Amino acid sequence: MKLSDILIVDDERRYADMLARRLALRGLTCKVCYDGHTAIDVVGQEHFPMVLLDLRLPDIYGTDVLMQIKAFRPDTAVIILTGHGTEKDREQCMARGAHSFMNKPVDIDRLVAIMTGIKEGDRRDRRIE
Amino acid sequence: MTDALNKFPGVMWPRFHRNNDEHLNPYYTFQDYRQTWGMTIFILMTTALLPLIVMTLIYYQLIETSINTESLLRTERLASNARRAVTFFLEERLAALTFTVNEMDYDQLTKPESLAEVLRNLKLGFGGLTDLSVIAETGTQVAYAGPFNLEGKDYSHQPWFMECQQHNACVSEIFSGYRDVPHIVVAVKSMRPDGRFFVLRATLETERLIQTLSSYKTGEHADIFLVNRNGLLQTPSQFYEGESHQVDISLPAYSDRTKAVISTDRNGQPILIGYAFIETAMAPTSFILMVVKQKAGMMKVWLDLRSNINWFFGISAVIIAIVITLTSTVMVNQIFHADRLKAETMVAAERNCQLASIGQLAAGVAHEINNPLALINETAGYVKDLFTLKHQYKEDTELVEHIDSIIDAVARCGTITRQLLGFARHFDVHAQPINLNDMVTDVINFHKKEAEYRNIKIHVDIPETIPLIETDRGKLQQIILNLVNNAFQAIDNGCSLGVWAEMEDPEHVRLFIRDNGCGISEDHLNKIFEPFFTTKKEGKGTGLGLSITYGLVKKLHGNITVQSRTGQGTTFVVTLPVQLKEETRV
Repeated sequence: MKLSDILIVDDERRYADMLARRLALRGLTCKVCYDGHTAIDVVGQEHFPMVLLDLRLPDIYGTDVLMQIKAFRPDTAVIILTGHGTEKDREQCMARGAHSFMNKPVDIDRLVAIMTGIKEGDRRDRRIE
Repeated sequence: MTDALNKFPGVMWPRFHRNNDEHLNPYYTFQDYRQTWGMTIFILMTTALLPLIVMTLIYYQLIETSINTESLLRTERLASNARRAVTFFLEERLAALTFTVNEMDYDQLTKPESLAEVLRNLKLGFGGLTDLSVIAETGTQVAYAGPFNLEGKDYSHQPWFMECQQHNACVSEIFSGYRDVPHIVVAVKSMRPDGRFFVLRATLETERLIQTLSSYKTGEHADIFLVNRNGLLQTPSQFYEGESHQVDISLPAYSDRTKAVISTDRNGQPILIGYAFIETAMAPTSFILMVVKQKAGMMKVWLDLRSNINWFFGISAVIIAIVITLTSTVMVNQIFHADRLKAETMVAAERNCQLASIGQLAAGVAHEINNPLALINETAGYVKDLFTLKHQYKEDTELVEHIDSIIDAVARCGTITRQLLGFARHFDVHAQPINLNDMVTDVINFHKKEAEYRNIKIHVDIPETIPLIETDRGKLQQIILNLVNNAFQAIDNGCSLGVWAEMEDPEHVRLFIRDNGCGISEDHLNKIFEPFFTTKKEGKGTGLGLSITYGLVKKLHGNITVQSRTGQGTTFVVTLPVQLKEETRV
């Protein structure tokens, strides 16, 4: 798997675009969508190894999107990237299969490090398989 | 024992007398507890004592009235009895004279031997007779038997003689007459066969009459005597003899019955007067019988009793007053304490409410700021990326520094918003057993390097007697960390920091964190737990650390207090329950 296919789901369009550009600068190809339903559709059509998901979306709850993604694509790693996550949110998301939970604003290098960590863990898992 | 001693001044000078917590005043049920106390005592005293006083006065009035009535009756009875005796005394003698003039005619009576015989017989029969004489119509004494030779004396102008002519008999006043010895003259008129009249006259010694009167005298405060209608004393009076034998109390008005009245004597003392105008069946007299009793003497028994009642009443009133005062004081004090507790709770609730609303506002602000902040972060990051990753401007360090400072500022804003959210949030509590000593040691270890570098001495003294406490590990760690951080920021190099613990009671443990740093001024002391309050230089502190600590301590059902003196240091005291209550555990 190439570390290039990332789906960013965030209703703050300029933020999502900017994050996509920055990740692109680091060699990661990103796709962006701005609401929950679109995100679910996109995930249904394409396979993304990784999704960056905001919790507060205009149409449905981020946690519902997370559940749908994990139901449809269990091997997709989901990183929650939210502006106002509580401990409870974190617990809920981790329980529903999120790989990581981060609060905005986030340091880009840390984000990349975490994504790399997930990817490597994935590889290790595969090796075990 | 000491408890009782401590409580005693509380009764004498209860807490509400020195109520000076003005900040609690709006929450008290009663505005002025001293006034409430006074009113309570006044109302209770009035309702308890007023009926007692009124009943006592009515009782006094009744007793006095009945004593007066009874005394008047007794005085009247005494006067009536004495009147009968005096009347009988006079009538008996008049009857004897009448018998004599009917038995013997004028001629026989004028014979000196036979008159002397009659006198002798009368003296034997009645006694108290001095002499006996026969007076002719002209007023000339024609026969005399007795010790003084008064034959030939003219009595025609004597008042008794003139009265005798009118009424057939007469009783004179007591007078001294020619002989200068007090006596009474009784006389009866009799007709001679030729139509002329003569008078048989007897002189009576007053001694007998006085004795008769004295025999009716009862008690040392009673006086009994005769006066004439002009108030001249006829028989001696023990207490009421004024100048020239005049009685010195006012004479009662005429009445044909025996009567008793209340009057006053010359000194204004109340007296009872029983009186009777003496009249015999044969002739009127000018005597008035008077019985005088001093009211005070008669009332003495009652006055003694009343004095006892007064003592009883006085002592009862004092006991009632003491009981009411003590009870009211204790009750009002207890109400005050309950009310004070309520007021304090309300103040605390209001403060918590303020903190909570500030927290809500803070959370709202944090939410709203977070998104643009993230955007700034990413945009600035992107610009930096362009410069650094594309190697185009990599050498332009100044530009990169500017962008770094933007990113730094964003990071700092991020910290603030995270803290704000943390302040507002109510996290769940997970209780687990914790060794306080280990936890404090862990936290201190974070600062070991800094302490060495700054030459700060740290003393930790958590005795082994402190049990494992069941509480939320993360929150307790955060509390200790915040307080230690705070202390490190407050102290200069070379100062010291002390952390120790003790049991407040078997259910609460107290943790002390003391520094000998700059201290907190009194103005700031009551604000330090408020959010955004900081004395640190701009940009150095968010002012949230202690308010978050406060919230965390409250979350663990504990309490935090601070004592501080400027220049001497600050001590934070955290009190925590050894076992977090069941319902708060998840």
